[in-house]
Formats: sequence, structure tokens, C-alpha cells
Amino acid sequence: MGAATLVFWIATLVALAGGLGVVLFKEPIRNVLSLVLVMLSLAVLFLLLSAQFVFAVQVIVYAGAVMVLFLFVITLLGPVREQGTVRLPWQIFISAVVIAAFAGFLVAMLRGVSYRTPDAADPIFGSVQSIGVGLFTDYLFPFELTSILLLVAAVGAIYLSRGAR
Amino acid sequence: MQALALAILLFPAAGGIFLGVFNWRGSRLLTAMVGPGVIWAAFVCVLILLGNNVDQDFTYWTWIRAGSFEVPFDILIDHLSLFMCLVITGVGGLIVTYAVGYMEHETDGSYARFFCYMDVFVLAMLILVLAGNTVFLIVGWAGVGLSSYLLIGFYYWRRSAVIAARKAFVMNVIGDIGMILGAFVLFVSYHQVVYLKLFPALPHTPDATTELAAFLLLVGGIAKSAQLPLHTWLPDAMEGPTPVSALIHAATMVTAGVYLVARFHPLYDATIYAHAAVAIIGAVTALFAASIALVQTDIKRVLAYSTMSQIGYMFLAVGIGAYSAGLFHLLSHAFFKALLFMAAGNVIHALHDDQDMRHYGGLWHDMRRSSVTFLAGSLSLAGIIPFVGFFSKENVLGEAFSRGDGLGYAVWFIGFVTAVLTGFYTGRMWWFAFWRPASEERPVAGHLHEAPLVMLVPVAVLAVLTTVGGFLQIKAIGGWALVDDFLKPVLGEERIRTNGLEYLATVLTLVLAALAFAAAYNFWIRGTWSPAGWRARYGWGARVLERKYYFDELYDWAFVRPLDRLAGFTDREDRSLIDTGAVDVGAYTERGAGALSLTQTGFLRSYVLVFVAGVVIAAVLVLWRASS
Amino acid sequence: MLLAASSIQVGSEQLDVSWFLLLGAALFVLGAIGVLIRRNPLVMLICIELMLNAVNLTLVAFSRQLNNREGQLFALMTMTVAAAEAVVGLAILVDIFRVRDLEDVDDLSELKG
Repeated sequence: MGAATLVFWIATLVALAGGLGVVLFKEPIRNVLSLVLVMLSLAVLFLLLSAQFVFAVQVIVYAGAVMVLFLFVITLLGPVREQGTVRLPWQIFISAVVIAAFAGFLVAMLRGVSYRTPDAADPIFGSVQSIGVGLFTDYLFPFELTSILLLVAAVGAIYLSRGAR
Repeated sequence: MQALALAILLFPAAGGIFLGVFNWRGSRLLTAMVGPGVIWAAFVCVLILLGNNVDQDFTYWTWIRAGSFEVPFDILIDHLSLFMCLVITGVGGLIVTYAVGYMEHETDGSYARFFCYMDVFVLAMLILVLAGNTVFLIVGWAGVGLSSYLLIGFYYWRRSAVIAARKAFVMNVIGDIGMILGAFVLFVSYHQVVYLKLFPALPHTPDATTELAAFLLLVGGIAKSAQLPLHTWLPDAMEGPTPVSALIHAATMVTAGVYLVARFHPLYDATIYAHAAVAIIGAVTALFAASIALVQTDIKRVLAYSTMSQIGYMFLAVGIGAYSAGLFHLLSHAFFKALLFMAAGNVIHALHDDQDMRHYGGLWHDMRRSSVTFLAGSLSLAGIIPFVGFFSKENVLGEAFSRGDGLGYAVWFIGFVTAVLTGFYTGRMWWFAFWRPASEERPVAGHLHEAPLVMLVPVAVLAVLTTVGGFLQIKAIGGWALVDDFLKPVLGEERIRTNGLEYLATVLTLVLAALAFAAAYNFWIRGTWSPAGWRARYGWGARVLERKYYFDELYDWAFVRPLDRLAGFTDREDRSLIDTGAVDVGAYTERGAGALSLTQTGFLRSYVLVFVAGVVIAAVLVLWRASS
Repeated sequence: MLLAASSIQVGSEQLDVSWFLLLGAALFVLGAIGVLIRRNPLVMLICIELMLNAVNLTLVAFSRQLNNREGQLFALMTMTVAAAEAVVGLAILVDIFRVRDLEDVDDLSELKG
């Protein structure tokens, strides 16, 4: 088993463990930290898939900035614990059925995947240069749209969180 | 040159935007400078293009592209469009300058609004004549309809103005529909919208398609030019301010139909029936409108009917293939009719907006300068030598006579009778409103204020043009034909050979029209013949004329009333049948909604659950269909 | 072999893309479970982030398999959307918590029919 394979399996196991942690921990702070774990291991996997730029963004923006935002909100709101009040008695049971169907569907779909022949290998694949060229040529319009989306989100967030009306 | 051609459009556009958006309550002086200024700037651009002898189709960018349908934004500069631009910006500039004085009593807001509309109108009219393709033509066509609507309804606090504006708009839209359908037919048949590609593709022999397209375009032309049977809006359009009547409802917009036929002359040359229809509609309208003008008492309405009549002459000319004669009459009509409207405007202005000629009189004595200019316009309208109206009208009638076939003689005869009637009603207007002693009912009894210089100078310029303009084209033996020569590159060689006999007809027309003009003197000044006596003897005729041949009543009976009844019927049925049904449907819906609302638990998680379940089901279905 | 296989070259070794896809599917299902059964609105948001991350992994994996950068570009867009979603979601959350003290998301059921 070579180094890359080893890294892959370690990252996969950490990601799965983190995913379980996100779902199972009762304390929100632990959920967030588990998610950070998942994100970091996914970042490692992105590197294995030679997506350097996505790796960097994942670590800096996602695991860094967005998760810090979550932590801020948790500290702001204080500990919120789920109480034992159950108002939707069938929720867990039906969820289990639906999720099982969904998982079965995903596996069935992945079994049937027929891979397309890859394009010619690109020497700068995944590099910042390649991404930059993509964003500023073919995908300039969607790229500008995302900036507008972020602006709208920022304005919306400011509007929602300003003080007494 | 390419930028200059665009500048013709950009100047009025900039003026309209400036006045409408930035200056609508700003400085009056600025408004009075910008409003006419941009039109004069456009006029200078036209002159430069003319001086450089530009004759080209400028394409700026692709406007619409969908499959094989491609519309460029192009401006066609040729002698025909330059000719029209000269009329629009030249006469238009004079009229808008005149309006600086005429509209001075308006409030600041209305003042700027007026010049904004005027600039927008000039812009639309320039788009109409400069358009290099049918789609762009329709844009201008609709644009002048819109600005005409806005300007007729300029005094929007007067109910009659609003109704007149609406009437004009509806009539124009009927024409627009014909026009658009015509452009569709041309595109579907020949797959071209650009003139310079469309015209060579047209067949030279008549076929059903070209006839259909020509007829549909003609519908647009007669609506815009107030020809029978879509004419009823023009007299009512006199509700607008007088400069509007001068510019839009006399000099430019209403002549768009003539321009249209001349622009599409390859199409009309290829047709028989549509082309003859143009001439017949024109001739009949000329006679029809002239006869109504005999009995009108509102001075602007007389002028409106005479406008219809003169445009009838233009239609007659382009209908028999004498395109340049029609356009010469268009030019001359723009001069003398704008002059008449503006001189009448001076009088109306001085008499506190009274337009009823029965209240006039004594004007020759009290408003000498306006009266002299009005006289020049009247003589021109009546077709008296040497005013421009004589030359252009005789040109039209001469071409009709020279054509030498049944249609030619028929329309010549109608035009001849109309010319005599024109002499008579013009004489009536002149003697009755200006010459006779002041009426006791005159709103201003004593001394009248002559119009200020800003109103007199444009009128005087037009009076000079009216007097000497005829020398542009004297087609008598050994004469010259500057207008024909100028338009020859676009309209081609003359189609009608003169045979010399038409000069006899010309002399006959001139003499009879002059006699009719003089005869009016006997009616209204000397009282040799009394109008009242004639009215007693031919009361039915006067009634028919006063009711304008009952066209409004006919339309009311044929379209408005049935629609009204239909609306009343549907209203009743709506209440009894459909409303009850709707109420029941509402009640059942309410009950059903009450039942369904139980599914709205308000719990976010159950919504998410249903959503995920829906996704799974949809995805499974898609995958199942894809794999089977 | 559970899935159809397609290998990619990483250094001198071969890795199988289908494992990445399977991991993505597993994380996505975990996230979905979290959204459905957890009642803390904050945790629900976190689980949504987890699902979005799983999708990103799938996109990048396919991108690598096809040697096509568009998958990575799309993953970047997803991250932007995720960030916007987190910001707005958290702002709504803070707003709600400021107005009233709630125990879990099931308290927010005024809009029932």
C-alpha cells in the first residue's frame, strides 16, 4: 500500500468519523468542531485529486472563515440543548425509512455509473492559473453573479441582525 | 459621416431626455434654448450630410438576431430621407421656435413638458424617415403615434382633449397593425427587412403577395395620414396646442403615409390594385375633406380638413406614380400649412384662445403682420400663382392629366373640383375671419396685441418660403425641376411623359380656383349672395357637411354601439352566470383549503422530511426511466 | 467490487475514483440524517454544510476523472452559495433567538394551518 493510498484511507476514515460526530454529538460546539474535521480531511482528499486551489479555498474560507462564524453564533447564543420533548413521534421512524431508500438509491446509482473517457491530460490541471482562466473567461458571468449573491447575502444578514426596529 | 448620421437622432433624443428628466421644473430660459436648439442642431447635421452628398446605408450594430431573422440598427441616408429630414428639422425647428412664444403662458412644468414631447416627436419622426429597415420603421411609426397622443392630450385637464388623444391613438394603432402585418408579409415572403436588400428581391410583375403587402402598408399610411376611412381623428386632434397642429398634424407626421408609399415605391410599382387604391383614396379624401371644410366654423378645424385634403393630393400623386410630384407637394404643404397654422395661432393667441371664426373679423386692420402672412398662406393653399402651392398642386394635377388613362383622368377631375372648392373655402376663411369688420362677439374688442418677435420671425420665414418656394420646380416649357432631379437617385426616372395638354388644364384650374377665392368675397363681405339663403335652399347639404358625412355617427353605430351592447350583455351574464359560479368555486376552494391546511403542521422538520422523500421518489423515477 | 471502477493516477499509484464517490454519498446521507432528526436549528445548518461538502467532493472527483476543470469551478460556486446560505441562515437564527427563547426548532410552528 503506497503513501497516497494510505493518506486516502486515513482521510476517509477521519471524514466519516467527523460526519458521525456532526450528527451524534449533543453539544453544538462539538458538532462544529467535527465539521471542521470533515472539512480538513476533505481538503486533503482535494489535494489527492490535484485540486490545489479548491484545497486552499476549502481550508481558508470554509474551514476557516465560515466555521468561525458558526462558533461565533454559538458563543453568542449560549448553550442550546435539545430537550426531550417529542412533538413529532413518527419523525425518526419515517426518517429512517426515507434515508434508507435514499441511501439505497445512491448506491444503486453509483453502481450504474459508466465513466466517460477523460479529456486529454492538462498540465496545469487544478492549478490557480487554470481556475483563474476558467473564472475569467468561460465563467465570467456566473462568477460576477456569485459576487452579487454574496453582496445580497451580506445586505440581508445586516438587515436581519440589526438591532431594534 | 457615420457619427453625424447618428447625431441627427441623438440631438433630439438628448433634448427630450434632458427636458423630461432633468429640467422638467427647471429654468424656463434653458428650456426655451434646449427645446428648439437640439432641432436646429439636427438641421445642421442634415445640411452637412447634404453638403457632402452622402448616400449610404450606415449599419451600426445588430439589433435583433434570431435564427435567420436579423435586424441591424441601420440608418439609410439617401436623397429621399434627407429631403424628409430637411422638412422635419427645418420646418420643425421654425415651429418649435415659434412655440417658445406661443406656450409662454404655461406653467414651468408644462413648458418643459411641451418641449420634451416636441423633441421626442421630432426624434420619432426622424427615426421613421431614417430607418433603413422595416422593423426600425415601425419603431418610428409607433413613436410618432405616441408623441402625437401625448401632444393632443397636452391639456390633459380638458376632457375633450383626452378623448381626442385617445381617438387619435386608437385610429393610429389600427394603422400600426396593418403596417406591422405588411412588414410581416414582406419578411415571410422575401426574408429581408433591410430596404436595400428587400427592394431588389421584389418581383416586377404583380402577384398576390405584393398586392397584399402593399395594401397592408397602405392601411398604416392612411391611418397616419388621416385618409378615408381612418380620418376621423385628425379634426379632433386640433385639441392640441397650435404649434402641435402645425408641426404634427400638418407639416410632418400626417405626411408619413406619403413618405411610406414613396419609400416603398418598388413595391407599389409592382402592384396594380394597391397602387391604384392609393390614388383613389387620395382623390376621394381630397374632395371629401374640402367639402367639409366649406362649413366648419372653427378656424383650426378648417385648416385640419384642408390638411386632409392636401394630403389627399399627395396620395393621389404617389398613387399614379408621380412620386416626386407628391413629395414636392409635401414640401410645399409643409411650408404653407405650417404658415397658416402659425399665423392662425398668432390670432388665437391674441384673442385668448378663441378659435371660432364667427367671433373674428377686423384682423386685417388690427393684426396686419399676421394677416399678411396668413394671406400668403391662403393664396398658396388656393393655388394662386406665384405661390408655392400653385406649382406643387399643378405639378400633381398635371402628372395625373398626362398619365392619359382612365384612372389619370378620373383623379385629375376629382383633384380639379377639389381645387375649386379649396379656393372657395380658403377665400371664406380669409374674407370671413380676417377681412370683414370686427365681430361684436370678438373676445378682445379694442386693440389687439401683435405676436412677439419670436413668433413673428418663424412665420415670416415661412411666408417668404411660401412665396418663392415655387421656383424650385417650374415644369412649364423650358423650366426646371430641382425637386425631381434631387429625388431621382431614389425614385428613379419619371414614369409619366408630359404631352403638353396639361397646361390647358392648369390654366383652367388656376382661373377657376382664383374665381372661387374671389367669389367668397361676394358671399361674406358684399353679401351679393347670402350664405343664409343658400343654407335655406340646400339645408340638407349643409347638414351632411356639418356632420362630416356622418362618419363619426357611422363608426358609432357600426363599432361603438355594438361593442357597447356586447359589453352590457357580457356584463349581465358575468354577474348572473359566471359570478355565481365563481362564488361557488371560491366556497369549495375555501373548504378544500381548510382540509388541506391540516397538512401544514408548521414543523420545519416534517417539511424537510417530505421534501427529501419527494426528492428520493423523483430521483428514483428519473433513474428508472433512464435505465429502462 | 461494489462499484464500477475508474482509476486515476496519483504519483506512482492508482486510486479508484469510485471510492471518493462512495465517501461523498456516505457524508451526504449522514448530513441528511442530521437535518431530519436533529432539533437544534444550528446543528441543522451545520448538517446542511456537511451535505454541501459531500457534493463538492463528488464534483471534484468527477472533475479529476474527466480532466475537466469545470467541476472544480462548480465546487467553488457551491462554496460561495454555502457561505451565503450560512450567513443568512445564521442571521435569521440570531434574530429569532433575540426575540424569543426557544428550545428547539419544533417551537417554531406558528405557521401551521
